[in-house]
Amino acid sequence: MKLTGWLEGVGRFYVGLLLAFLYLPIVIMALMSFNASPFYQLPFEWTTHWYSDLSRNNQLLTATLNSLRIAVMTTVIATILGTAASIALYRYDFRGKRILQVLLFPPIAIPWLITGTAMLIFFYGIGIGRGLHAILLGHVALALPYVIVVVSARLQTFAPELEEAARSLGASQWQVTRRVTLPWIMPGVIAGALFAFAVSFDQFVVSYFLATPGQGTLPVEIYAAIRKGFTPEINAVSTIIIVVSMGLMLVTARFFKFGGDR
Amino acid sequence: MTSAQAARKGIRPALPLLAPAYLWLTVAIFLPLSAMAFFSFMTDLPMAGREWSLTLKNYAAFFSTSLYLTLLWSSLRLGLEVTAWCLVIGFPAAYVLAKVLKGRAREAIFLLVILPFWSNGLVRIFSWAMVLREGGILDTALNAVLPFTVSIDLMYSYPAVIIGLVHSYVPYMVLTCYLTLQAIDDSLIEAARSLGASRRQVLRRLILPLAMPGIVAGAVLIFVPVVGSFMEPRILGGRTGTFYGTVIEDQFVAVFNWPLGAALSFILLAVVLLILAASAPILRRAQQ
Amino acid sequence: MAEVRVENVSRSFGAHKALDDVSIAFPDGGFYALLGPSGSGKTTLLRQIAGFDFPDSGRIVIDGKGVERVPVEKRRIGMVFQNYALFPNMSVTDNVAFGLSVRGVSRAEIAGEVQRALDLVQLGGLGERRPHQLSGGQRQRVALARAIVIRPQVLLLDEPLSALDKALRVDMQVELKRIQREVGITTIFVTHDQEEALTMSDRIGILREGRLVQEGSPEEIYDHPVSEFAATFLGDANILRGEATETGIRLGDGTEIATRLNSMVRMTGKVSCAVRPERITILPASAAASTTGNRLAGRVSKRIFAGDSSTYFVERDGQTIKVLVQNAGQIPFDEGQDIVLTWSPESTVLIRT
Repeated sequence: MKLTGWLEGVGRFYVGLLLAFLYLPIVIMALMSFNASPFYQLPFEWTTHWYSDLSRNNQLLTATLNSLRIAVMTTVIATILGTAASIALYRYDFRGKRILQVLLFPPIAIPWLITGTAMLIFFYGIGIGRGLHAILLGHVALALPYVIVVVSARLQTFAPELEEAARSLGASQWQVTRRVTLPWIMPGVIAGALFAFAVSFDQFVVSYFLATPGQGTLPVEIYAAIRKGFTPEINAVSTIIIVVSMGLMLVTARFFKFGGDR
Repeated sequence: MTSAQAARKGIRPALPLLAPAYLWLTVAIFLPLSAMAFFSFMTDLPMAGREWSLTLKNYAAFFSTSLYLTLLWSSLRLGLEVTAWCLVIGFPAAYVLAKVLKGRAREAIFLLVILPFWSNGLVRIFSWAMVLREGGILDTALNAVLPFTVSIDLMYSYPAVIIGLVHSYVPYMVLTCYLTLQAIDDSLIEAARSLGASRRQVLRRLILPLAMPGIVAGAVLIFVPVVGSFMEPRILGGRTGTFYGTVIEDQFVAVFNWPLGAALSFILLAVVLLILAASAPILRRAQQ
Repeated sequence: MAEVRVENVSRSFGAHKALDDVSIAFPDGGFYALLGPSGSGKTTLLRQIAGFDFPDSGRIVIDGKGVERVPVEKRRIGMVFQNYALFPNMSVTDNVAFGLSVRGVSRAEIAGEVQRALDLVQLGGLGERRPHQLSGGQRQRVALARAIVIRPQVLLLDEPLSALDKALRVDMQVELKRIQREVGITTIFVTHDQEEALTMSDRIGILREGRLVQEGSPEEIYDHPVSEFAATFLGDANILRGEATETGIRLGDGTEIATRLNSMVRMTGKVSCAVRPERITILPASAAASTTGNRLAGRVSKRIFAGDSSTYFVERDGQTIKVLVQNAGQIPFDEGQDIVLTWSPESTVLIRT
């Protein structure tokens, strides 16, 4: 239905309102992280005090480092394993393939609360226990389905004749993969890697159940700090996180969109 | 030549590529879920020095008091309300995106709507605390505009939880509805109009039915995690924010009654799977 | 260069028999067209020869060696795909160099070979281009250069011209034929386009439902089709049905038609014969007595004018007969006019039904 005249205007205005709803709290939080009053009092007075406080807060700095290390490792592992699995699912046809594809959805569809508590119980029971290694184990599992879905989507645009052409020219399986398949799906692999990083870096629920006291990731420490009470330092660190993760997704969107057309 | 012919048969050559990913998923997802099912029938943690046996008492606990059922019900209600709000807010926006906006404006705004969704959920919930608390931004702004004094203190209330969750999940609904609405050919709508249908009739008899798979997909994607939410009610709901999810959290991090927690989690999983199964036919229709 | 032989090859996909006991010898250095409608098994056969798929039974012999279990990358074949399958992430040069470089040929040698191949297809100056910057015909040439630069024993072409428009297709037919002659490579060419098969190949094999129906030179198949399918699939033909006689065939209304003397065993019982539309002459009913050869009376029901020629549809005894007449200035026949069709027995092929 083509909305004509004023109706179109109403439509645009409405979308504007929705964007305001989505961004206002974030913008306010970011502003408050530069406000001098620790009780968020107005009028606004500019300060970077809270950021310098943050730089001396060892607990949050350690947590940030943990988060980054786990996110990077998750990205590397999930991207490699996920890409390999995607290529196998694309290239081969076998009994039970459908089931393997359906099995990718539980990690995405089941609430993290359930996944997280289940991991806690199982890891505890078989002696893996809690801690950063358990968090890494969990994050990779959460990120894998995203990588496989994204890379598989890219593979759908790949013509199987290209692999056949390479084989007809005498290329071995590995040469076909490295010189023809991988270059083509690279935008998908990069997008999958960024997804994996985002899933891990933003992950709170699973990390929360698997963390040991004093050895948490950033979201876990922030949650603990919020429950103790609000401080402008949390505003500051939250602002950093949100800028980083939104920036990351913007990059992902570029790769996924513009990389997908060629 | 069909691609099925082109693909190579047999799982053996695929195994080296598939095994690492699926082994990892098995260890970190599928075995834990199975273990949790088993664990929910135990009396205590199966650890050194502890006596444990199989029991139904954890499930009995769920049904013997009305507490857990009430909480599960309030979580389901929370899920329904948040889903409904997301639909009411998200669908019109998706419509405008799909059928009014064009070209680069559409791309840019679509990206802007989806973007917050990929930022940290915890931090976004926290940002609402800044806005909603007494003496917070909303309070101050309203008092600056209005001639009389009002005290807005939404913090630690049910509406605060709703607002926070809707904010978190509305992009899902916009995304899924946008995808189905965008696929509707404009000429269908023009055809309906040429046959004399009013805007309202076109919406009710053509657009809504065609967009139904997107609406259902969005609803499932929102409802399922909201029923299992615990961090959002904790931060924005305070004492009023006791839901099924927060009780499960307590079993694992405060009360340390893991078997009961496992049983509660498992019941939630059953509810979730039921919902996924019920929505599967509609979602499958969407793929065709 | 090598002779390729397919011996008793069968291949089924589930219940569907894609190839049913097919045997063909592809002569060394020849240009062989596999012709058939879609689903006839021609592409399946090509993929068996290439090695993308293995036969359930039977042998595939290239240059005297059985290769039916050798995977494609170990056979020395060159293949041109229907959509060319040029690697989009590589330049023209890199595309052509690919087959040599995966074999570990030295860089200097590759450069020379690639240049020679590109010169052969007359694309010498376009090496730096990407596939998406090329026209359809240029892509076609790159695909060909890429296939022959590895000096394959056999060149396989899977409907290589079907993606081109008509004018370009005719150019490429000539060009492809020239390159094939120059290289002298055994070439197997899959097509559903009978005109392409006729103009380009030395030999044609007609496939239908997974079986080889007939093979021979284009002239042989065109002039001596062994079945109604072969007659109508390759070119146009009028089929007349009746009983076999000493000299030919007796139609339902008693008319005797003389056919070419056939070296085949004498046929009896129900048979049919095929006559090409361009072999028939139309005469006014009054002039009929002066002719020799086969003769049928009929009435013009329709005439379609096509510039250099006209097609007449003539009704006779409940059957429509097509006649192709070159427009050489003669007065056309009117629709509804009674006429007589004549043609020589030499142009009439007896076919078993």
